[in-house]
Amino acid sequence: MISPHDQTFTGGVFHESIPNGRVGAHIRVSRGEIVAEPMYNDTDSNGGTLSFAIPIREVQLDMGGASGKMIFCRTQDKSLTIFCEERGFAQALEHESAGILGDRLKSLRGSLRKDNRRFMFWVGVSFLACLVFCVVGYYSLLASARVAVHALPTNVDEQIGKAAIQQMILNRLPRDHQASELVQKIVERLKPHAKYPEMDFQIYVVPNSEVNAFALPGGQMVVYTGLIENAESPEQIAGVIAHEMSHATLRHGLQQISQSLGIVAAVQLLIGDVGGLLAFGTQLAQQSVMTSYSRTAETEADLEGARMLYAAKLNPKAMADFFAKLKHEHGDIPGAISWLSTHPQHEDRIDAINRFSESLAPVDFVPIDVDFNAIKKSVK
Amino acid sequence: MEVEIRNRPSFANLLVNMQAGERIIAEADAMASMSSTIEMSTRWNGGVFSAIARRYLGSESMFVNEFTTASAGHIVLTQPFPGDMACVELQGNTIFLQPGAFIACETGIHLGLGWAGWKSYIAGEGLFRLKLSGRGRVWFGAYGAIFTREIQNEYIVDTGHLVAYEPTIGISIGLAGGIFSSFFGGEGLVTRVRGPGKIYMQSRSFDGLAAWTNSYLY
Repeated sequence: MISPHDQTFTGGVFHESIPNGRVGAHIRVSRGEIVAEPMYNDTDSNGGTLSFAIPIREVQLDMGGASGKMIFCRTQDKSLTIFCEERGFAQALEHESAGILGDRLKSLRGSLRKDNRRFMFWVGVSFLACLVFCVVGYYSLLASARVAVHALPTNVDEQIGKAAIQQMILNRLPRDHQASELVQKIVERLKPHAKYPEMDFQIYVVPNSEVNAFALPGGQMVVYTGLIENAESPEQIAGVIAHEMSHATLRHGLQQISQSLGIVAAVQLLIGDVGGLLAFGTQLAQQSVMTSYSRTAETEADLEGARMLYAAKLNPKAMADFFAKLKHEHGDIPGAISWLSTHPQHEDRIDAINRFSESLAPVDFVPIDVDFNAIKKSVK
Repeated sequence: MEVEIRNRPSFANLLVNMQAGERIIAEADAMASMSSTIEMSTRWNGGVFSAIARRYLGSESMFVNEFTTASAGHIVLTQPFPGDMACVELQGNTIFLQPGAFIACETGIHLGLGWAGWKSYIAGEGLFRLKLSGRGRVWFGAYGAIFTREIQNEYIVDTGHLVAYEPTIGISIGLAGGIFSSFFGGEGLVTRVRGPGKIYMQSRSFDGLAAWTNSYLY
């Protein structure tokens, strides 16, 4: 019955006479009819070859299905539906109907395209909304992590700092060494004026010719003998120590961790899980990542340090002087780079410290009473 | 081959009674027990590449098992989650299954994987769907009870409840109500299905289970 030049498509039929109401079928469009022959005719109880046909003049077309491109051909009473989604089927219909169905097919395709465009538009809008939500969420989480850091008890910082310093291999000078006594004395003098005076500040002097000093969270600090050697007065050393103490009291270490861990830490901080934070913080501290802070953190530490110096009746200008000296001479001082490299933009900072010092009411500064030259000699 | 779906709907399983020479293909790991007269052979689920695709994109196993017997015997096939099973008989037509729903089929069925599209993904039905066509019976499972509906025009199903549907069914995503009621009424997005065709729905959804379980975890 199918002539060789007729194209056959694969599709299906819905009709109540078929068991289950549907069957896969071979479909062809010829002689003014759409004809569907079920693939498995032996399901027909009558024994004869069963086929379904819709005259093209009477056909009602619709488009849809899971792919959106399936063409449904129905009789007027909708009792019979022949469907197919093969590519050539629409052309065959158009061709065979001599243009009758052309307009209908065109409008169906148009509405399909319109639907797709509308869907893509909403997908785009939703995607953008998600993106905005994520970015805003990320930054507000980071900001809340910063706030949350201050809400955490300071013993979190202390645990991290102590764990980290124990794991750092440092050849410390004995506690009763002159240099140790000097830095200890400075810490004792500054401590009452710190933001958290109850913090367990511990300072160690390490024999190393580099001009370096750093603070771990919780008040664990290290000063290299190179810094003592290159300072001109004990007040300059006090300037650096005040700066480092400020990193601890401003809790820059914990903020650094929360930023390095990013969103995970932020969430952990917010839900109060500090176990992971401790482990990560210890690791970070060991890698000395935590000893270099952001520019904002450095400026914050400068000003807080200057405030502490002033409160302890020490001249904050000494801090600026030491920065200036390092900047001026750093070509000559071996290893000076190491502290400078982690403390950049010193010109602005020197200016900021000086401006701050000048804005203060004049007081009688009480110098640190030590034999500084003897101490300098002792660390050489 | 006689197949009975037992213990419906909660813990449905298939009891397959096989005569000499009959064969059935089942999802790997679906077999719970069987007669000693049944022989099992394992093969790639389609070709190697399509098996890998079905594993990772269609949440099905990379391998399927083919059971056969020289005398007679029975097999019990089951699914990993509690719920009902259904049987569809294909006569050259096609049915789409949500990833993970397939349990078993007769040998005349071709198992394929089709791109389902972003609409399906948003509807919680996955980017890909299993496409079964050919001739024979197909058994699939769902979480919860299975109910079916013959759709002529439009019908609304909540996301994640659609288990199987025919290719004549069109799917689009819509809001359950207005913006406010959609998100605060707990319905969110819904799937709008458009006939003609038959859809199979499950009375529970995995998303619902996950959300309910999560509420006890923190």
